[in-house]
Amino acid sequence: MKRTATSVLAGIAITGLALGVSGCAAQAPAEAEGPLTVWVMGDSGENFQKLVADSGIDVDVVAIPWDSIDEKLTTAVASGSGPDILEIGLSKLATFAAAGALLPLDDELANYPGLAPENFPAGVAGASTAVDGKIVSIPWSSDTRVLFTRTDILAENGIDAPPATWDELRADAKTLTARGDGQYGYYIPQWDAPLPIEMTWSMGGEVIDADGNVDFDTPEFADAVDLYTGLYADGSVPTNSDFDQQQGFISGIAPMIVSGPYLGKGISDAAPELDGKWQASPLPSGDGGSVSLFAGSNLGVWYNTDQKDASLKLLEYVSQPEQQLAWYGLTGALPTVNAALADATLNSDPNVKVYTDQLATARVLPIVANWDGVVGTGLLNALNAIVLTGADRDSSLATFYDATKGLK
Amino acid sequence: MRNRLTPYLFVSPAMLLLITFGIFPILVAAVISTTDMNISAFASWSNVDFVGVDNYVTLFGDPDFWQALGNTGLFAVVGVPAIVVLSLATALLLNQSQNWFFRALRSFYFIPAITAIVAVSLVWSYLYNTQFGLFNYLLSLVGAEPVQWLSDPWLSKFSVGLVAVWRGTGLNIIIFLAALQGVPKEYLEAASIDGAGEWRKTFSITIPLLRFAIFFVSVTTTIAWLQFFDEPFVLTDGGPLGATTSVSIFLYKEGFRLNQFGYASAGSVVLFAIIAVITLIQLRLRRADDEY
Amino acid sequence: MSTNRDASNRRRSRGLTLSIGIALGIGALITAFPFLWMIATSLKPQRESIDFPPTILPQEPTLEWYQALFTELDFGRYFLNTIIVVAIGFIGLLLMAMAGYAFAKFDFRGRRWMFFLVLATMMIPVQVTMIPTYLILNGMKLTNTLVGIALPTLVSGFSIFLFRQFMTTIPTEMLEAARLDGAGEFRTFWQIVLPMSRPILAVQVVLTFISGWNSFLWPLIIASDQKLYTLSVGLALLNQQLAVNPSLQMAAASVMVIPILIVFIVFQRYVIQGFALSGLK
Repeated sequence: MKRTATSVLAGIAITGLALGVSGCAAQAPAEAEGPLTVWVMGDSGENFQKLVADSGIDVDVVAIPWDSIDEKLTTAVASGSGPDILEIGLSKLATFAAAGALLPLDDELANYPGLAPENFPAGVAGASTAVDGKIVSIPWSSDTRVLFTRTDILAENGIDAPPATWDELRADAKTLTARGDGQYGYYIPQWDAPLPIEMTWSMGGEVIDADGNVDFDTPEFADAVDLYTGLYADGSVPTNSDFDQQQGFISGIAPMIVSGPYLGKGISDAAPELDGKWQASPLPSGDGGSVSLFAGSNLGVWYNTDQKDASLKLLEYVSQPEQQLAWYGLTGALPTVNAALADATLNSDPNVKVYTDQLATARVLPIVANWDGVVGTGLLNALNAIVLTGADRDSSLATFYDATKGLK
Repeated sequence: MRNRLTPYLFVSPAMLLLITFGIFPILVAAVISTTDMNISAFASWSNVDFVGVDNYVTLFGDPDFWQALGNTGLFAVVGVPAIVVLSLATALLLNQSQNWFFRALRSFYFIPAITAIVAVSLVWSYLYNTQFGLFNYLLSLVGAEPVQWLSDPWLSKFSVGLVAVWRGTGLNIIIFLAALQGVPKEYLEAASIDGAGEWRKTFSITIPLLRFAIFFVSVTTTIAWLQFFDEPFVLTDGGPLGATTSVSIFLYKEGFRLNQFGYASAGSVVLFAIIAVITLIQLRLRRADDEY
Repeated sequence: MSTNRDASNRRRSRGLTLSIGIALGIGALITAFPFLWMIATSLKPQRESIDFPPTILPQEPTLEWYQALFTELDFGRYFLNTIIVVAIGFIGLLLMAMAGYAFAKFDFRGRRWMFFLVLATMMIPVQVTMIPTYLILNGMKLTNTLVGIALPTLVSGFSIFLFRQFMTTIPTEMLEAARLDGAGEFRTFWQIVLPMSRPILAVQVVLTFISGWNSFLWPLIIASDQKLYTLSVGLALLNQQLAVNPSLQMAAASVMVIPILIVFIVFQRYVIQGFALSGLK
């Protein structure tokens, strides 16, 4: 009796699974009418609605909370019913392209000159962010990492300019830490997986080999690890994981921080009285120069959208320099179109000039499936184990090399 | 003559929903756990292969899974008695008087239970923050060093556990208060006349009469701790270095961050089996205890 | 002489009650402290909320964040959606009451294993059910509807269990009497069983309210239109990856907690009574 019940249920389960699957397979490709659904990250939904108000295209914006992007995207991919256009972080691009969620755009670009790769910085457009040789997204907003310093605090301690090299940064951080108990010179976010990679690039190294396989076992990465662990060994950085960088910077506890433009915006919003007492400057350099991260997000078209043409039209609309600048005005996110990045008014702010200059040489993280999940997490776990729990450096790194070597 | 179909009419809507959204998914998980399904499956089902028990073998050789299992065990072993004792003690005290003050206090103790987890995470992150949090500020007033509430591997377990205890007591206090209403006054009065003190009465009369409530609360609290997810998810994301990763967090990360659905499903089936076995043991112990 | 001892007993017990009252009062303040702090922060200007050392009470109280929630952000709509989700939840309440009644008062084939299934659903981790449930709702074309948002959590094993526990205490003779008078089964349920179950219904109203009110996961996943978001999701939207405004977030969190607190205060007397009568002793 019991056994029959179980087997009946198992039968139902399998039929149900099949139904669920077949339910999402059929989709009509014909161009439909009606508003385009656009998914944007964070709380900038209202702003996006404002941005596209005059585009002549009817748009429904859905804002997705940052903390819940994974659930939202995974369930959408699983069912096949997604938006028409979605904003996607560069680090997730490969994963979702591999799942077939993004429409390859190579054949379409010829009809939309505004989306041509030449319009965007080489580091992020066209082949740089293609997956399996196919372009699946258009750059949308850019973000990079620069050095923020509290010039007032540096000056009080005899440092008259922000450090230009990592060696200088390490020395200055030591000086600033000596200010007293609970004071630090620098801050390393424990969740910031790109930082060690920026350091590696600055040392002149790479994290993927010539064939596009992940490979961290290089002398330059070892230099970066020396730098990273050295800052902890000097006692120059806080060891708690819940350090708030904005508060830390404003209060002066950590007067040097590598972060993005959002930190600059956060400081001006929360502490206008500090105006003139802080500045942004290029990421410190090593033997390889000052090579920062090209982060930010792209826009992709959902693979089975029934409004492909309208979607591409909207992408072209928001890629116009004036719309990109309007978006900067609304949210503080930097443009990705060359013409907008070179805009004189934009660059009249000295901090913004630092951001746009840094972007000129910045690079995107390797487009590897599950970069965040496997490489990023593994890297942070290895490094944090060394600096926080005193784990053996060689064996931690060896485990990390083994886990990531050859991924692509 | 009663219609034999009547009870089925009454149960079927609820049962249908329960089976669809509760039982069916675990069966799906069981099927998926025998495959290597990941997110590429959605591009083409030919990317899915049957792998038998491979996922289970990998799982039991995965040190991260064992760490998560160990953490979950520790949380349950410490957390279940903590919640049961704390809520029982509070309920006993609240039951000492029925005046307006005591009644008003109940609402205060219930507040944590009704606060949305998103709000909980906001408030507690600010309280725990090492540099700017209120706790360390209060400690600094008495000259103590700042404490790394959420960054120290051992202390972080305590910190997320404390929030869970804080959130978990409210509903149980109410359950115990309700059960206390069922304790006949005459028993307690008779004991007073015999000269029994408050302690004596509580331990010899009240608590034995609360047996079923204690059992009920223990079972539901155990299940809740074994599925422990919300607090570490919002406060530490399972860190530092996996110190607060429970099995549920582990499953979530494998499934939604790494998109290893086959592997995560195997973990879910194991977690479900563990919960079922522990609950059945609790039920069996109770039956042996008082032979209903 | 005996009156003397009574008096001293009474005095002693009054002293005891007083000290318990003080201890409980302190405990209550500690328990509710995060809540009080949340309210206080929601009234502070942004600069003050990240000041160190922290201020307990706002120095320059402001209501600007509450205004911002409802004018700049769409909290009015989220509020309405949340109410609708809660309202749909009450249909689930009725279904669970019916099931609990059948388990308590009828003897039928399959009762044992069906009840076992009810208990089993309490043991299933939520993370497991997410994707299959989504696929089912998608197959039923219920994504992007408020019904779809409410459906996965409409019934819970825990609540059916509580209903059954309570309803076993309803005397069978009363039901038989109603049937002899010619009342149909559903009428018996509606006119006899439900009114007698008022205390447990109060409990379930509060539980349903809590779960509907705080629902986060399904509104997020099922809604492909922001117009269907609930308060929880709106609150999560305020959590930017790096830059945050604690005052605004705390105001949103307060908007979430206060209505539910009012519901509890109104229903609390019945809630306790409800648990008491459900045989939890």
